[in-house]
Amino acid sequence: MPSIGTLAFDEFGRPVLILKGQESKKRLFGIEAHKSHILAGKAVADTLKTSLGPRGMDKCMVSPDGDITITNDGATILSMMHVENEIGKLLVQLSKSQDDEIGDGTTGVVVLAGALLEHAEALLDKGIHPIRIADGYELAAKIALDHLDKIAESYPLDLTKLDPLINTAMTTLGSKIVSRCQRQMAEIAVNAILNVADMERRDVNFELIKVQGKVGGRLEDTLLVKGVVVDKTFSHPQMPKEVRNAKIAILTCPFEPPKPKTKHKLDITNVEDYKKLREYEKEKFTEMIKSIKDSGTNLVICQWGFDDEANHLLLSHELPAVRWVGGPEIELIAIATGGRIVPRFQELTAEKLGYAGYVRELNFGTTSDHMLCIEQCKKSNTCTIFVRGGNKMIVEEAKRALHDALCVVRNLVRDNRIVYGGGACEISCAIEVAKEANQIPTIEQYAIRAFADALESVPLALAENSGFSPIKTLSDVKSQQIAENNPRLGVDCLNTGTNDMKAQLVIETLIGKRQQISLATQLVRMILKIDDIRLPGESEE
Amino acid sequence: MQPMIIILKEGTDSSQGKSQIISNISACQAVAEAIRTTLGPRGMDKLIVDNRGKATISNDGATILKLLEIIHPAARTLVDIAKSQDAEVGDGTTSVVLLTVEILKNTKTFIEDGMHPTIIIRAIRKATALATKKVKEIAVYVKSDDAKEHRALLEKCAQTTLSSKLIARQREFFSKMVVDAVLMLDELLPLNMIGIKKVTGGSLEESRIVDGVAFKKTFSYAGFEMQHKKFLKPKIALLNIELELKAERDNAEIRLDNVAEYQKIVDAEWSILYDKLEKLHTAGVNVVLSKLPIGDVATQYFADRDMFCAGRVQEDDLKRTQKACGGAIITTVENLNEQSQQVMGTCEIFEEIQIGSERYNFFTGCPKAKTATMILRGGAEQFIDEVERSLHDAIMIVRRAVKNDSIVAGGGAIEMALSRTLRDYSRTVPGKEQLIIAAYAKAFEVIPRQLCENAGFDATNILNKLRQKHAENHMWFGVDIMHEDVSDNFTAAVWEPAVVKINAITAASEAACLILSVDETIKVPKSSAEPSNAAKAMNMA
Repeated sequence: MPSIGTLAFDEFGRPVLILKGQESKKRLFGIEAHKSHILAGKAVADTLKTSLGPRGMDKCMVSPDGDITITNDGATILSMMHVENEIGKLLVQLSKSQDDEIGDGTTGVVVLAGALLEHAEALLDKGIHPIRIADGYELAAKIALDHLDKIAESYPLDLTKLDPLINTAMTTLGSKIVSRCQRQMAEIAVNAILNVADMERRDVNFELIKVQGKVGGRLEDTLLVKGVVVDKTFSHPQMPKEVRNAKIAILTCPFEPPKPKTKHKLDITNVEDYKKLREYEKEKFTEMIKSIKDSGTNLVICQWGFDDEANHLLLSHELPAVRWVGGPEIELIAIATGGRIVPRFQELTAEKLGYAGYVRELNFGTTSDHMLCIEQCKKSNTCTIFVRGGNKMIVEEAKRALHDALCVVRNLVRDNRIVYGGGACEISCAIEVAKEANQIPTIEQYAIRAFADALESVPLALAENSGFSPIKTLSDVKSQQIAENNPRLGVDCLNTGTNDMKAQLVIETLIGKRQQISLATQLVRMILKIDDIRLPGESEE
Repeated sequence: MQPMIIILKEGTDSSQGKSQIISNISACQAVAEAIRTTLGPRGMDKLIVDNRGKATISNDGATILKLLEIIHPAARTLVDIAKSQDAEVGDGTTSVVLLTVEILKNTKTFIEDGMHPTIIIRAIRKATALATKKVKEIAVYVKSDDAKEHRALLEKCAQTTLSSKLIARQREFFSKMVVDAVLMLDELLPLNMIGIKKVTGGSLEESRIVDGVAFKKTFSYAGFEMQHKKFLKPKIALLNIELELKAERDNAEIRLDNVAEYQKIVDAEWSILYDKLEKLHTAGVNVVLSKLPIGDVATQYFADRDMFCAGRVQEDDLKRTQKACGGAIITTVENLNEQSQQVMGTCEIFEEIQIGSERYNFFTGCPKAKTATMILRGGAEQFIDEVERSLHDAIMIVRRAVKNDSIVAGGGAIEMALSRTLRDYSRTVPGKEQLIIAAYAKAFEVIPRQLCENAGFDATNILNKLRQKHAENHMWFGVDIMHEDVSDNFTAAVWEPAVVKINAITAASEAACLILSVDETIKVPKSSAEPSNAAKAMNMA
C-alpha cells in the first residue's frame, strides 16, 4: 500500500516529493502509535503515583536556573517537569485543568488516566478497536458517575459548626508537607473562605483572599489576618507604629507637585523665577497636606513615592504614610476599608476615606523586616493568610497546600455533597461498574471491566505508598465492602485501626471526584482516537 | 552538428505525457492514504506536530491536509478542494478527497490503456450531472413550517456530523447547543455572530450557550474590583476612545516661562479626560466597553460612580456586543447626553461570572440577540481546539440545512444509491463512455467501504449485502456501524443535508477532471527569482 512517509516513485524510479521535508519527517502509524502514546502516558502517571495519599512522597524539582521546588502537588510537579512528549503534555494539561476547576485531586486524575491507558493496552492486544474501548470507557464512566451520586452524602453546611468543613480541608492537607499542623491550617482555610463566601450565590471570590509568605518563624506561626497585610512600612521611622481608628486616604497620585504628561520644558532665566518655582512647590505641598488634613485623614496610603521633603512635612503634620504600595494591594485595601481610590488631591473628601480599626506594623524576629497589617476593616471580607516557615521551599509548598485546601472548602460551599476518600469511593464505583459490565451485550463489556480495574489503581497506589501489600489490602477492603454493603470503607493509610472512612473523617468533595473521572475518561478517549502521528524531523536549517 | 536550442532554464524539471498523468494520480492516492482512516464514526484522529512544535489533534480532513504541507503540485489540488468544501459546506472534507482519489484510481487503468483523457473527462462530466440530478430527485423534503419537526431535522443533521468526532458520545448535548446557536441568528446566518470561547478545565458537559455575548475579563487596573459586577438593564456604551491620562500629542513640547502656567496645563490635561468621563456619567451609562485601553484614573472614576468598565475589548467581541445589545461603537463622547439613547445598547442582565479559573463578562437577554456565544469546557487545550473544529462543522451543516430542508441518508446509503443508478445507466450507453461511467459508479462505493474498514468490518461482505439491498430498491440502506450490519439509515436518522452531497460530488469530479487534464508539469528551479520567459509561455499554453 503506498503511503506517505515512504517515498512514492515515478516510472523512472525517481522519488516524487509530496510533502515538504518529507525525508526527515517521522511518522508513527496504527498500533505502534497507540503503543507509544500509552507508554508515554504511563510514564508520566508513574512519576506521580508515589506522591498520592497521606504517605505519599514529595518530589524535588530543579529548574534550569537552579531554583529548587519541593512539592507534592500533581499539577505543580507536572508543570515543572517540562514534558516534551505530546501525549505527556496532554496529561500535564489534564492535571492543570483539574487544578483550575477544582484545585485538588490533581495527582489522582493523572493516576487514573494512566491506569485507563494501561488497561487499554491489554485490550488493544486482544484486537479490540480503540474507539470501542473509548466508548466502553465512557459508558463505564457514566455508570461510575451515577453511582457516585448515589453514594454521595449531603453535608450539613452550618456556619456555627465548622468541624465538618475543617475535616474535609484536613483530608486535603493530609498528604502535604504541612500535615504537622494540619488542624491549624485547615481552620485557617475554612475561616478564610467563610469570611469571603457569598452564601446566597454560593460563590467565593478568590481574589479577596491573599496568601502571603515570609521566610522565618515556624509553620505554626502561620496566621489569618482579617484584613490586609502589605509588605511595606511607614515611610518615616519616627511615625507611630500603630494607628487606631485609622481613616485612610488611598491615593494613586504621587506626593509631589503635579506634572503634565505632555513633554514640557520650564525656562528659568533668573533668580526671581527660581524662587517662584520653589514657592510654588512649597505651596503645593502645603496645599496637599491641607487637603488631606481637612478631610480628616490620619493615615495616607500612596501608590507612588514621595521625596524626603514631603515625608518630613507629613511627619510634622502627624500624618503617618505608606508609600509604593502596589496596585493590587491598593485595590484590596480599598475594598477592605470601604474607601475609594483617589486619583487627585482635589477630589479627596471625607466620604472617600476608608476605615480600619487597627493598623499596625508587624516585626519579625531579629530581622529588620516589617510588614503593615490593616485589621478590623469596615467591610472586612478580605483576608490575608500569612504563611511562615523555616525556608523558602516550605513556605512555597505550604502556600500551595493552602490553595488546595481553600479550593476544597470553596467547592463544599458551592455543592455540599461529599464522598469518602482513602480510595473508598473508587472501590465502591469499581464494584458497581464491574457488576454492570456483565449486563452489557457488546464488546464494550471488556472495556467496562477494564475501567473497573483502572479505578482500583487509586486505592492500590494508596496502599502501596503506605507500605501495605497492595493486592491484599485492596481485596480485603473490596470483599468487606461487598459483604457489608458499605461504600465508606477505604484504605487505612495511617494505621488508625479502622478502615471506615466516615470514622476516620477522610472526606472528599463530590464535584472533585466527578470531575476526576469525567476528565480522565474524556482525555483517554482523545488519546485512543489518535492512530497517526507526524513529527517534523530535524530541520536542516 | 546541430546547435542545441535551450528553451527552458537550466535545471527546470519538466515531465510530460501519459506517465505524468499516472504519476500525478499516484501522488494523489498517497495523500488520500493519510486521511483515509479519519472517515466515519470509527474514524481515528491524527496528531500532527509542526516545525514550531505545536501539536494539533484533528479528525477534520481539511485541517489535516492543511497541516501536512503538501508540495506536490497535483496533490495540492486535493488540499484545495478540501478547503473549498470546508468553506462552502463545512463538512464532508474527508469524503470529498476520498471520492476524488477513487475516481482517479478507477480511471487510471483506462489512461494506461491509452484512452484519451478528454474522453474520460467528458464521461465524468456526464456522470456528475446525472448523479447530482439523482440526489436532488431522491432527497426527502422536510416541511419547515412545523417548527418542532424542523428543529428535530436540524438536530439529526448535526448529530450525524458530530458522530465521527471526538465528542461523539456527547453529540446529543452538543447538537442541541449548535441548533440553538444557529436558530438565534438572523436571516443571513452570519457565522461570525456565533462566538466560541474556550476555557480549559471542567468537563465537556459543562459547556454552555449564552443567548448574547460573553468574553473574558480584560486587563484591569486598580479600582476594578470595586466596581459593580452586576447590572440589570444597564446602558452600555461602546467606545473606540482611549480613556487614559496621557500626552495628547506625542511629539508636542510645551515651553513654560511662568510657574503659574504649570498648574493650568496640568488642569487642562485632567479636564480633557474628566470631560469625557463626565459626559459618559451624565448620559447615564452603566457599562463602558472600549476597544482601546481604559486607564487607572478612569477605572477609579467609574468605580467611584458605580459604573463598570472594560478596556482593550477584542474587536469582534465588541462588534458582537453591539449586534446583540444595539447601540453603536462611538468614537467621540462629545454629543453624548441623556437623549442620545440610540447609540447606547442595553440588555437584561450584565454580570461577571467565574468560569473555571477565568472570569467572564456576560451580556444576556439582549433585545436584538442575533448572536450567541458558546463557552466550551474540556480537559486540555488540544481537546477543546478539536471540539471547536467539530462544532464548526456542525454549525456549518446546520446553517446549510436551515436554508435547504432536503436531506439524504448518510452512512454510505446515498453513495450506494448513486452507484447503482449510474451503473444501470452505463449499460445503456454505447461506446467507451460506458466503461468510464461504470468506473465512476464504482468510485462511489469507496465511502461505505472505508466506513467498514475503519470500523474493522469485513468490507466486501457488507458491500455485497448493500448492493443486494439496493438492487431490491431499498435505496436508504447503508452501513450500520453499531451492529456490524446494514440497515435503513433513513429510519435510523443518519441524515445529511442533500446540498452537502451535491457539493461534494461536483467538487470531487471537477478536481478529478482537472488532474486528468494535466499532462505536463514544468517546475522551475527554486534559485531563480523569476521564471524564464520560455517557461511562462509554456505555462500559458
